[in-house]
Order: sequence, then C-alpha cells, then structure tokens
Amino acid sequence: MSNAETVPPAKPPASLAARALAILSGFGLATINLLLLGVLTWLATLEQIDSGLYPTLNKYFHWRALIVIPEINGRIVPFPLPGGYWVCALLLLNLTLGGLMRMRKGRKQIGVLIAHFGILYMLVAGGVAHHFSQRGNMAVGEGEVSDVAEDYFEYVVEVAEIIDGEPHNIHVIGGDLISDLEGEKLRTFKLPEMPFDLQLTRYFLNGAPVSIHERAPSGGVPVVDGYYLVTKPDEINAEANTAAIHGRVALRDGGFSDPFIVAGASFHPYTYRHDDRIFTIDMRKRLWPMPFTVHLDKFTAAFHPGTSRPAKFASEIRRVEDGQETKVLIEMNEPMRYQGLTFFQASYGPPGAGPGQKMYSVFEIVENPADKWPEYSLYIVTFGLLVHFLTKLFSHLGRDSRKQRHVS
Amino acid sequence: MSPKSPAVGRWIAAVLVFAGLLAVMYNLVVDNMPKGEVTEVKDYTPWSAETLKIAETIPVMDGGRVKPLSTFAGFTMLGLHGARSMKVSDGENEYKLKPTAWLLDSVFRPHLAVHHPTFRIDNSSILEAVGITPRGRRDRYSYADLEEGREKLIERAKAYEQIPSDDRNPIQRQTVDLAYSIRSYEALLGYFGFARFGVVMRGSGEGGVSDKRVGLSAMMATAPQIRQQLQQSQKEGLPISPHIQDLLEQVLDAANFAKFGLFMVPPADTDEDVWMSAGNVIMSVMTGEANHPEVKIGDIDAMEAMIRVSENDDAAFRRELTAMRDRFVERAEERGEYRAVPMEAGYYRANWFLNALVMFLIGTLTALAMWSVGQNKTGRVLSWATWGFTGIGLTLCLIAMVQRSVIMLRPPVGNLYDTIIFIGTTGVLLSLVIESMSRRRFALGMAPIIGTLLIVLSRRYELGDAADHMNPLVAVLDSNFWLTTHVITITLGYSAGLLAAALSCGYLVLRTLGLDGGDRDLRRAISRAVYGTICLTLFLSLAGTVLGGIWANYSWGRFWGWDPKENGALMIVLWTLVILHARLGGYIKEWGLHFASVFTACIVAFSWWHVNFLGVGLHNYGFTAGKSAIWVFYGVMAGIFLFGLVGWVIDRMGAGTAKSQSEPMATGAIEA
Repeated sequence: MSNAETVPPAKPPASLAARALAILSGFGLATINLLLLGVLTWLATLEQIDSGLYPTLNKYFHWRALIVIPEINGRIVPFPLPGGYWVCALLLLNLTLGGLMRMRKGRKQIGVLIAHFGILYMLVAGGVAHHFSQRGNMAVGEGEVSDVAEDYFEYVVEVAEIIDGEPHNIHVIGGDLISDLEGEKLRTFKLPEMPFDLQLTRYFLNGAPVSIHERAPSGGVPVVDGYYLVTKPDEINAEANTAAIHGRVALRDGGFSDPFIVAGASFHPYTYRHDDRIFTIDMRKRLWPMPFTVHLDKFTAAFHPGTSRPAKFASEIRRVEDGQETKVLIEMNEPMRYQGLTFFQASYGPPGAGPGQKMYSVFEIVENPADKWPEYSLYIVTFGLLVHFLTKLFSHLGRDSRKQRHVS
Repeated sequence: MSPKSPAVGRWIAAVLVFAGLLAVMYNLVVDNMPKGEVTEVKDYTPWSAETLKIAETIPVMDGGRVKPLSTFAGFTMLGLHGARSMKVSDGENEYKLKPTAWLLDSVFRPHLAVHHPTFRIDNSSILEAVGITPRGRRDRYSYADLEEGREKLIERAKAYEQIPSDDRNPIQRQTVDLAYSIRSYEALLGYFGFARFGVVMRGSGEGGVSDKRVGLSAMMATAPQIRQQLQQSQKEGLPISPHIQDLLEQVLDAANFAKFGLFMVPPADTDEDVWMSAGNVIMSVMTGEANHPEVKIGDIDAMEAMIRVSENDDAAFRRELTAMRDRFVERAEERGEYRAVPMEAGYYRANWFLNALVMFLIGTLTALAMWSVGQNKTGRVLSWATWGFTGIGLTLCLIAMVQRSVIMLRPPVGNLYDTIIFIGTTGVLLSLVIESMSRRRFALGMAPIIGTLLIVLSRRYELGDAADHMNPLVAVLDSNFWLTTHVITITLGYSAGLLAAALSCGYLVLRTLGLDGGDRDLRRAISRAVYGTICLTLFLSLAGTVLGGIWANYSWGRFWGWDPKENGALMIVLWTLVILHARLGGYIKEWGLHFASVFTACIVAFSWWHVNFLGVGLHNYGFTAGKSAIWVFYGVMAGIFLFGLVGWVIDRMGAGTAKSQSEPMATGAIEA
C-alpha cells in the first residue's frame, strides 16, 4: 500500500462564507456574547446608582449605542464595550444559526433544541416589547373621571386653536421629531390646518426658563421676553426631567413671529394671536387617549395594624364605554386587563393623607403586543431544559449502574 | 509527593479548616457574649420557670402582627443589648437572663431592671461626649449608668436628627440610635407606673394621714361624670375645678407613660384591627371615644390587680398574671389572632437553628476526620457519623422552616433572613443528594460545613438587623403563589450556585495541595457533580428569573425593569450559560470548569446579597448589616481562586516535564 493511499485526503480549504458561518454559529461567539451581556448587565447595574435607570439603559442597550464607555462612581472606565442591543442581535443570530439550524438534531439534542427555540422566542418577545409597547400613567381623584394617560418621558409640542375657551384642531409634534434639535439646529413643521407653520430649535432635555432679573444670562444665550433657558443636570429619575425648546411662528408670507420659549416646567402655554384667532403652543408630556373613561369611586390604602407597612392598595373604579358601565377593582397584584391595555395600581396620594381626606389613585397603563410571550417562552425553555437534564441524569445514572454491575 | 504525604496533608488541611471554622464561630460568640464583668443587682431574685412560661404566651401586637411576648422581648433585647441573654448576680449567685425574664424585670421590677446591662455601646466616644465615663471602647451599660448623661444625649440626638440620615457620621448615627433605645426602654420601665402609683386624691388625708390613692380603673369608671362636670363648667363659663384639673393631669401623665411599650390589649370590637397599649386604653375611656368602656376598665383593673401583688408574692402574682393573660387570650382567640402564638413561643424556646448548628459543627468535625483517615473502616464509621449528625441538623432546620411557614401562613422565603436559612438548608440537602449519587464522601463532608457557615451567617444577620423577620410582608410581595414559584425557585438557584462553588473550592484545594493522592476517579466525580450542579443552577435561575419577570409583568406591567436584583439573577443565568458553552466548545476543561464555578459564587453573592446595598431598585431593603461580610467573602473566593491558579501552573509545569521525559508513552494521559 502506498503512502498516498494510507494518508487520508486533505480537506479542501473552507470557503470564506463557510468560515464566516462557522464563526457566526460557533460556541466561541456564543460564549463571548453571553460574557459580554453579563458584563454589560453588571456595569449597567452599578452605573444606574449615579446616573439613574433610564439614561443608563439608553446608554447601554439602545440601538444607537454601538460602543459603551462605562462610568462607575463618576469615573470613566477606559474599556470600551459593544452596545448591548447589538450584542443581543448577534446572540440572536448565533442562536438561530448554531443553536437551531446547524445543531445536530438527534434524540440527545432534542431538549437543547427546544430550550434554544424558547430563548429565541424570549429574545424576540423582548425586541417586540422594546419597539412596540407603550406605557404611561393616569392620575384620577376620588369621584373624578379620566380618559387619558400621560407618557412618562416623551415631551411633545402641542399646537391648538382656542375657540370658546376650548382647544380645537390639536396638532401634536412628537418628541422624536424635536429631541435632536440641539444648539443651532432647527426644523420647520408644516401645520396645514393652521394659518402658519412652526419653527423649533435649541431643545433642552431638562431645561427651565429663568428671568433675566433673577440671574443674568451668559453671553450669546438667546433671551426671549426677558427669559432665557438654562439646562439642568439630568434627573436620576428620568421622568422628572422637564424639556424646553425655542420656537417661532413661520407665517405663510415668509415672515416670522417673535421668538418664544415653551417649557415643560411652565404652567401656561405660549399664546399667539393671528388676526382674530387665538392659538396656544405648549410643551407637555405626550397624552395617550384611552378607548374608555375611568371613574374612580373609592381608593383604599390599608396598612398592617399599628405600622406604616402597606398591606393593601385598591381602587374601585367604573369603566365606562359606549354608555356601558362595568365595576372593576384594581389592586396590587390584581391589574385590570382590557382591550390590550393593562391598568396597574402604581401609586396614590396625597402623601400622609388623614382620615376622610380625598385621595387620588395613579394607574400605570401598558400596551404590549408581546405581553404573554415571555410566559410562553418560559414554558418552552423549562420543558426543553428538563428534557435535556433528565436525559443526561438518567444516562449518567445508567452508566454508573452498568459500571457497578461490570465491577461486581 | 510520597504515598503517605496526602494523608499527612489531609490532617493538616483538616486542622486548618477546623481552625477557620472556629474563627468564624468565635466571631459570632464574641458578639453575643456579654461584655465586662457580671453586673451586680442587689436583691435580685430570678423569676420562676412557671411565671416565665405563662408570660411567654401573652399576646402582644408588634410589627403589624400578633406575637408572643417572648418574641417581642427577644427582638427588643437583641436591638438594645445586642444579644438574647445577659448575666446578673445578686452578689452570691449568677443568673442568666433570657429575653422574657429581662422584659418582666423591665416592666414589673424597674427598680432592679435599671441596673441590668441593657445597652450595648459600640463606641465609647458617644458617652464621653455627654459626660459619662466609659469603661472601654465597647461595652454594655445599665440605664442607671446612662441616666446622668441622658438629657445631654437626647439634646445631641435631636440636633443630629436635623442632618439627613445618609450624611450622618457613625458617632452621630449611634448617638441618635442610643437616644431612641433609651426612649424605648423608658417606655417599658414606666409602662405599669399607672398601676403602681394610681392617682392621688389631694386633700383626702386628714389629721396627718397621707392622701388616698385610687386606681386608674376607678378613675375611668367615673369618666362620664367627670366629662359631664367639664361640660357643665364650660357651658356656664366657669373655670375647671382645681381638684378635677389636678386629677386629669395625673391621669394624663399616667396614660402617657403607658402609651408605648406593650400593645397588649386586644380591641373588643372585631372591626377594629389595632391593639392598644394601656395608656391608649385609659385615654380612650377618659375621652369617651372608647367602644365598650366597661371591657377596657376591666382590662386596666386586671393589670392593677397584677401589679398590686407583683412585689412580694410570687404565687399571687402568677395567679393574676394568668388571669390577665387569659382575659386577653380569650379575646384574641375570638378575633382569630391567637392561632400561632403558642407555636411561636415554642419555636423560640426550641431554638432549632442553634441546635442544628451544634449538629452541623459536630458533623464538620467528623467529616474532617473522615477525610483525613481516608478510605478505611474508621473512615466508613466517620462517614456514618457525618451522615447522622448532618441528617439531624438538616431535620432540625426543616422543622424550623415548616414551623415558620405555619406561623407566617406563607412560603418559607419572604425576606433576606429567610433566604439565608433556606439556602443553608437546601444547600445541605443538595449536598446529601449529590453524595447519594456520587458516594465519594466529598459532597457529604461539604454538607455540614455549608450548614455551619450559613447558620452562623443567619445569626450574624439577625443580630445586626435586630428585626423580627416573621412580620407581615408589604402589599406588593403579599402573594403566596409568586412567593412559592418565583422566590423559592430563584433562591434554590442561589443555593445550587453556591454549592457548585463550594465543591469547586474543595477541588482546587485538594488538587493544589495534592490531597487527593492523584485519584482521578475522585476528580472526575467532583467535576461531574459541579457540572451537574451548574446545570441545575442554570435551570433554577432561568426559571426563577423568568417567573419573576412574569410576576412583574402581571403586577406592574413590565416583564423586565432592570432592577439590580433582576439583573443579578440574569447575570447568574448568563454566567452559567458561559460556563456550559465554553465547556462544550472546549475553551475550558477540568481546571477551567472549577475556576469558573468558584467565580459563580461571587456572582451569586452579588445577586443575593450585594445588590441590597446599592440603594436603588424595588428590592432595595435599605439595610447595612453584613455589608463588610460581602467583601470578606469576595476576598476569600479570590484567595481560593489564586491558590488554585498556583496549583494549575504547577500542574501544567509538572505535566510538561512528564511529557518531555516520556514523550511516546504520555500521549493522552494528561487531563487538564
């Protein structure tokens, strides 16, 4: 037999695509991704102490965050890391390619395959919730009615015409269209139902108007009607930020009104007169109309006897829709789910209210198309892991008993 | 290494491990032992066992629930004294006072109790600052010792209270705490003052005879007439008679002294849920706000009857104490609030966890000896002994946990203290399960060590926290379904993760010191156990984390809130996935698995313990007890990691040398 016959034929070199596929579906990438996610989670946990939750999440897990530079205890850690969103995306790809498509499909692998599918489903659920869910809060007093929730973070500019003291033709400019207008950057918004357009610039994520009589502005800061905007440090609780922006009315004839300031911290909107018509321009958190009205009949806060430890918070409400009334009790751990919306008992007030004092209740309202998906994925993952570990355990025990029989 | 060296090494290691455990125990004992000399309390006589037994089961309301007096006494004593016992002497004999006896002294014999070493002071500077000469930097003091500087101390505490609590330095914090402790103790010392002194009817004594005293209950019986007289005076625009004015002032003083301390009077109305102190009872009758005033007057009368005989006649006192207890117990039973009181008194009397600790300690000794003697007949006997003592310890822990659940009417884990005893118990149980599958006596020996360490930790935590962990949970946690599913699963995950790390620590020590004598079967058995336990950790942590998410989604409308506790659980999941994928990909082998497993302990500790100190998130308990312990734990784990690293380097060098010396034969013989 010749040497040429005994030596196995050399494998042809793998193509670039095959090598890329091997890397993308390999254990190495899975390990690195998981490790990175663990490190990012740990750093985000520590950083939220000083920076607050919302900014930290945006920094670490927003799709815009390609690279993250951690900052712990106010000190920059010079160790750039990839953004969590993209690590998750890569993990999703790796899981799909390696954990489902390329993985060997045999009796022994069935549990892992099921578990991988469950994890994939969970990641997709997270993505859907991240991109398509919305949440807000509704505060309503005892004996009062509300049919609108307010967003936690998003500030919008609202333009309305006032007719007989009531706002009409309300036009809302969303937060995503104005939040990038920092510095000199400006944008004009067409308002076809109004006799003018609106030009906005100099957006402040957390700003407040200050009177020049109170404090003199620095050089170059635009002053409007004796007021100018100052930026405030971002709040740890991002929902406490109050946005502000400069603007002016762009008339159809090409002219402009005097500049004005609208701010979330202001109590009143900016009023603009055009001929005999009155318009208001306001900055406020985005309102979210509900498909029904909520009447709060009674709010109850119960505490464990003789303590200030909460025992029960409950709101007795009437949900009114098309004249139909339904009584519902919303309490801790017992939300109201209706028409894809979920109402949770979130808070109440006023703080330290005495007996007989009128209370108000705050509901957190969530609309999430992937509401139940994590639960379903849990069942899949649990089942898959159970199958896998039990298979392993029984094969291990079987091997041991065979070994013992062999020895004896 | 010679064939005999592993045995010698094992003995040395056993002695070192035992010394380490003794150091841990010493740390606990030192904190619990009374400091300084035994305090002499002149004319002190101990309470009879019968009296103490009756007193234990008196129901009181505290922390939002009804509990036995012994529980209240235990945690009050722990908070003030820093231990559940103290020693006093009458000049001849020494007496060990347990919480109930200490509390009875405080409320029934305040003239003796003021000399008990009730207050633990950790920094003598706070005493020097108020003009009290301290004995040592850290000691225990009686109320009488502190009385001289009391006013100054309270004044300082008031000033320090103006500073936000996070900004106070340790001296300021301890001054405020001591002022609160003194106030709380005074509420106990003066509690039965109303029954002891009554009300003086000024001007009633004639011809050199002192003025008469009447009981508060008698005064309360005349409350309608007094109120009528007051209304009459008001109506007619006349001043209140000095006699009435004086009486009312005395009643008010008496009621104020008994306003706090013991909330031991159950409401007569079933729709009222707050129990009353004696002072509240007195005021509610005097102001006419009380429902069923006749019942309340009877309550005060029962207390007065008890106090009248408390000084000299033990049998009569016991009779009156029983009568008062039965009176309140009957009402508590009607309200359905006495159900668990006798059981709870029995729970603390039985001291299950302390007894379990003793069993685990003996089990640790037998385990160390078992490992040291190796696989022979003596080793077999010692392994049975280890099984026995560990099994008894485990049974005691299980009994205690079941009793706690029955008392609380909720699953066993609802707060951090619960998690410690649960992790300890399940850690021991899992170790025994692994032992029954591997039968290498390795996991068996780890079981009592884990039990000992976790019970010591629970006692340290209880001491630092000094809070009753059976008190009811806040509204958002009050869900037995989720406590059973999410909390138990996630805590079991912690337990499995720590157990895997403990096994790996043992592996690294064994291999680095060569104590396994090169037994590859033993190494493989430990590695398999660790791998399996990591798989279990992953399964439990993943299921627990997602269950937590589902609970959060169900209760708050969000599956994931990036709360530190949630993140910690996710980190455990991710890390165990890293280990499994790295192992499957061949990036780590046997040594690597154990290094990674040791690091798992740090991640579990971060998730379970450390996140509570971060001060953010929904799971932030705002406590500081055990803050330093976490760094000690990280340090120990880092030490073991580095120690193992040295072993690995030596092993690699040895393997390299062996390979170069016998190249053709060594192929495939090295595992790493």
